[in-house]
Amino acid sequence: MKRRDFLKLGTAGITGAVSTSLGLLCWSPRAFAKTISKTFYITDGYIAMPDGVDVYFKGFSNSTSQLNIPGESVIVQQGDTVEITIVNTLSSDHSFVIDGVVDSGIINGGQSKLVSFTVNNAGSYMFYDKLNAPYNRLLGLHGGFAVMPTGSSNELYNGSPTFVQQYVWVTNDIDPIWHDEVSRGRTPLSTFNPYYFTINGRTMRVPGHPEYGNPDIDSGYNQQTRLEGSIGDRTLVRILNAGMCMHSVHFHANHVEWLAENGQARNAVWKKDTLLLPNNIGSLDVIYPYEVPPDSWPQVTKGYFPMHFHDEMTQTAGGGLYQFGLATTIAFK
Amino acid sequence: MSKILRPVNMMHAGGGGGGSCYIYPDSPSTPGLVTADVTFNRTAHMNGSMTMDDGNTITMWGFNEGGGMGMGGGAFPSPAMRMTQGQVVHTVLTAGSMMQGTHTIHHHGIEPSTENDGVGHYSFDVNGTYTYQWKASHAGTYFYHCHTNTVLHAEMGMYGALIIDPPEGPGTLFSGGPTYDKEVIWACDEIDSSWHNKNWRAGTCGGDEGFNSLNPDYFIITGVDGAQSALTDASIAPTVNVGDSLLIRYICAGYLPQRITFGGLNATIHMSDGRALPQTVQAATIKASSAERYDLIIVPDQSGVYEVTVEFLHWVTGAVVGTARTRITVV
Repeated sequence: MKRRDFLKLGTAGITGAVSTSLGLLCWSPRAFAKTISKTFYITDGYIAMPDGVDVYFKGFSNSTSQLNIPGESVIVQQGDTVEITIVNTLSSDHSFVIDGVVDSGIINGGQSKLVSFTVNNAGSYMFYDKLNAPYNRLLGLHGGFAVMPTGSSNELYNGSPTFVQQYVWVTNDIDPIWHDEVSRGRTPLSTFNPYYFTINGRTMRVPGHPEYGNPDIDSGYNQQTRLEGSIGDRTLVRILNAGMCMHSVHFHANHVEWLAENGQARNAVWKKDTLLLPNNIGSLDVIYPYEVPPDSWPQVTKGYFPMHFHDEMTQTAGGGLYQFGLATTIAFK
Repeated sequence: MSKILRPVNMMHAGGGGGGSCYIYPDSPSTPGLVTADVTFNRTAHMNGSMTMDDGNTITMWGFNEGGGMGMGGGAFPSPAMRMTQGQVVHTVLTAGSMMQGTHTIHHHGIEPSTENDGVGHYSFDVNGTYTYQWKASHAGTYFYHCHTNTVLHAEMGMYGALIIDPPEGPGTLFSGGPTYDKEVIWACDEIDSSWHNKNWRAGTCGGDEGFNSLNPDYFIITGVDGAQSALTDASIAPTVNVGDSLLIRYICAGYLPQRITFGGLNATIHMSDGRALPQTVQAATIKASSAERYDLIIVPDQSGVYEVTVEFLHWVTGAVVGTARTRITVV
């Protein structure tokens, strides 16, 4: 594979390389269907991991000069026609797939393709590159795709518990040896051994670290990732696992309402502080209720808490650096 | 947070070599301290051990009951905390210095204020004595564990069960919920013995400690080896009468996913993570992930010996990497 136009991200500055939308996923309901259009540019480049190691990635990006990991979330309404244009700027073949919804087929290197489809079922989906599976997906060619019920701004599906704001978290497990092999056009032969664990393409930084608080790098401050709310700001989180590992998702300060797993609504809504996240495009949909932390005494309404994975290997980077892994902050404002 | 935290510099910590260790030592006073209804004193220790069925002895860390500087004891798992719903609780943690090891207590599933949540990098790593103050608002099964360099400290065994009884007291799972005649606590965990010879802050100053990859060689139930001992250990393997209600408080205390099967007995799941389910669920097997809890009741209708298996699953392949076993004897 030809290596070209590598973008150095991370500590060297990531300006222009991040998603263009600010904050959480925004949505206004409609009584009618419409056509939603979006163009993704398949690009590649290197991103610095917390231990300073540069790792090769590919992404569904917003322009030829960007590398967006994950691709910018797409949100549509049931019945909408979605037109996605994929511009493959690389020399390798790629595809755009949403399981059960659309498969672009092969988009050859240097080619573009328009895929048009209609989505009928509300819920959370992942778009990804299904070619060279699972490598292209693991390398970063993935993103969140949300389908809202017709005319609704506050439900996951018709009749679901309601929310006032929503986020998409796409998680991934990164084996730098695999990424390097794919960058050289080879198929990895080693057993998958993840060294980095990301949420929306980023990992945590902690107080005292020079990148702490940088929203482009620190998953605890990234606006698409960090939950921000006040008491009553019920928040839907669509958790999509692009990675190879099963994980355990742990929320501090509130139990979540568990609405769906792998896109299927659950028969009963359980309140959980910890949930099993299935691997390989597994998903969970939960509502973080932003209630007064029930065991606080005296009661508090403000504070900062983590959401982190509890299979604690994920809380490390490069085999160490605890706290530089897959986590974000839940802020009670 | 009201203050800006700074990590401890290795030079100041006596470590040498420069660079920062991301540890936040402090022992402040507790905001809004009131008189507690119940107090648990816990002292961190790093001198415990567990002898396995194959004769090997593994170093374990944990929390001893009582104050002082943690000499002696070496409890694993750490002594359970048990209180009644509605009580204001103090957990008084005494931990060491930067040389001896700072620690915290996070009461997993308990949801207090930031200062009392026990997450080092959101508040502080205790280097003296701190009183965690919180109120036990929901009956159920929880556990507590150290949240300093958690990947290592929880693996080293720094955890214990935490049970909140409803006002009715032990024998009732939650107000309006089922009663039980006998209970067991199964905290199922896997041990990678290659992690058990490290410094308490390993990895927090950088460096590859292999913490991305857990390759367990022992599989245990509440501190008892699940290879053989847990089959007969009286604290793990219950004997109940036909028709009795056996409550199993199942805590997935390891890092890998688990699948627990009850030897052909049918269980009724009443709660998970300290919350009653909207409707109970019948289950012959449960798949759980790290730190989930399930409260289930078995009412056996036939005498016999039922072998319970806890399978530990590879996080990528789902393959069984090890099994712990115990037994329910029905007479």
